[in-house]
Amino acid sequence: MDLQLNYNDPLIMHIDLNSCFAIIEQQANPLIRHKPVAIAAYDTPRGAVIASSYEAKAKGIKLGVNVREARLLDRNVIVMMPDVDKYFDAHNRFNKVLLNYTNEVVSRSVDEFVVDFAGSPAVREGQSLVDVGMNIKKDVKAALGEYVTVNVGIGTNRFLAKLAAGLHKPDGLDVINADNLREVYSKLELVDLPGINRGYQARLNMAGIYTPLQFLDAPMLLLKKQVFKSICGYYWYLRLRGHEIDNVDYGRKSFGQQYALGDKTTDRNQISRLLMKLCEKAGRRMRKGGYTGHGVHLWLNFENRMYWAKGRKTKSGIYATQDIYLNAQKLLNEVSIPGRVSNIGVTVFNLEPVNPIQLGLFDDSRLDATSLAKAADIINDKYGEFTLVPAIMVNMQDIILKRVAFGSVQDI
Amino acid sequence: MREIINEEVSVVMVYSAKKRLALPHIIGWHNKEYKVGEIGYHHIVKDGDVRHHIFELVDTKDTLWFRLNLDTSNLHWKLEAIHDGLAT
Repeated sequence: MDLQLNYNDPLIMHIDLNSCFAIIEQQANPLIRHKPVAIAAYDTPRGAVIASSYEAKAKGIKLGVNVREARLLDRNVIVMMPDVDKYFDAHNRFNKVLLNYTNEVVSRSVDEFVVDFAGSPAVREGQSLVDVGMNIKKDVKAALGEYVTVNVGIGTNRFLAKLAAGLHKPDGLDVINADNLREVYSKLELVDLPGINRGYQARLNMAGIYTPLQFLDAPMLLLKKQVFKSICGYYWYLRLRGHEIDNVDYGRKSFGQQYALGDKTTDRNQISRLLMKLCEKAGRRMRKGGYTGHGVHLWLNFENRMYWAKGRKTKSGIYATQDIYLNAQKLLNEVSIPGRVSNIGVTVFNLEPVNPIQLGLFDDSRLDATSLAKAADIINDKYGEFTLVPAIMVNMQDIILKRVAFGSVQDI
Repeated sequence: MREIINEEVSVVMVYSAKKRLALPHIIGWHNKEYKVGEIGYHHIVKDGDVRHHIFELVDTKDTLWFRLNLDTSNLHWKLEAIHDGLAT
């Protein structure tokens, strides 16, 4: 028997800040409001645009174009580098607003939150979620500034709530429930559904599914066996009907740090210096999170579009920056560099809580390295980041700037 | 166009006990005084133990945007950047 649509009251709310980084910059600087603004990783011609204002988007300046292209699309575009601390501050204020309504607030990224209103005071008092959504919009303005707007979507699951939030940008508020679900799907294309990209669209097309409505009406077995060829087909079957499948907290799996080189190089010494800084940043975050790792993964992208990656598990725990660096450097020694390195990344994986510490029988130096790392962290906490650094990192203060990760923001 | 300045500046600050708010009121920079208009954003960044208050604001005539940094360890003000609202 086919599974019905979810007829429960929609109690999941998805809220996202419109054009987050750009709108926060426009809030901060009234002189650039209602103007095309692009936030780029670097303001040099090849710097990639990572966010743009609605005015810039209207001119075709979207995520991924570079600064040179953005200026060709609109010579009046205002290009800025990201101000990460300000965006984190905005994220925290946004979070605080939502926590006034319920504790069930999950941050999906720096500019997106999901709130589960089941059992919340607002619902118990019989308040409509549309009214709550309107109040949240007002509260966000009060907390972040008058220019800041948010999209609010309400649904029976996270998928429908996110879809609803994207229906009327900017400053929209929409509800998708069992009554209007088919109508909403009938006006969309497959790639309008969150999580359906061009690749999935091609797969669905191959199974004769060309519209969201056909996707909704497709039998579960067709999705599971033919389209997705995995349990994902069943998940989509549930998701499209408004049943929750995405409220899973995957927890922390790794700590990674990456860097796009402004000055591409084949110089191993220079790469090692960058690697040390990446290890220090990843290590600082890992130690703050209270973890120790048991493996290091290193990847390199080259200018000629070649890619190299290798990871290795370790028997003993990795805690100090020097441990991460030592393992990463060993991996780096194994690569033959075929061209100038354009991107480099290091990840510590197989995490375990740092307490209790598992000491190796033949590993005398572990406690020393751990104590040294802790002492260095205390000094850097007190006097500022990179006050105390390994010698290899001297004079690297401005290299590898603080960035906002796409997606998870567990470190904020 | 945004221009990095990083110069210490004179600032008159006003504290309202009623609103419980302390805000910059007048900026003195290069022998000119700018009366503070809209404060677009105010946030705090930490450099080690030291807290810095960052005020991003425009003058009352909407001619310039200023990014001011108040170092709470010595109460010195620094003008970090200005912007005239134009691309170039």
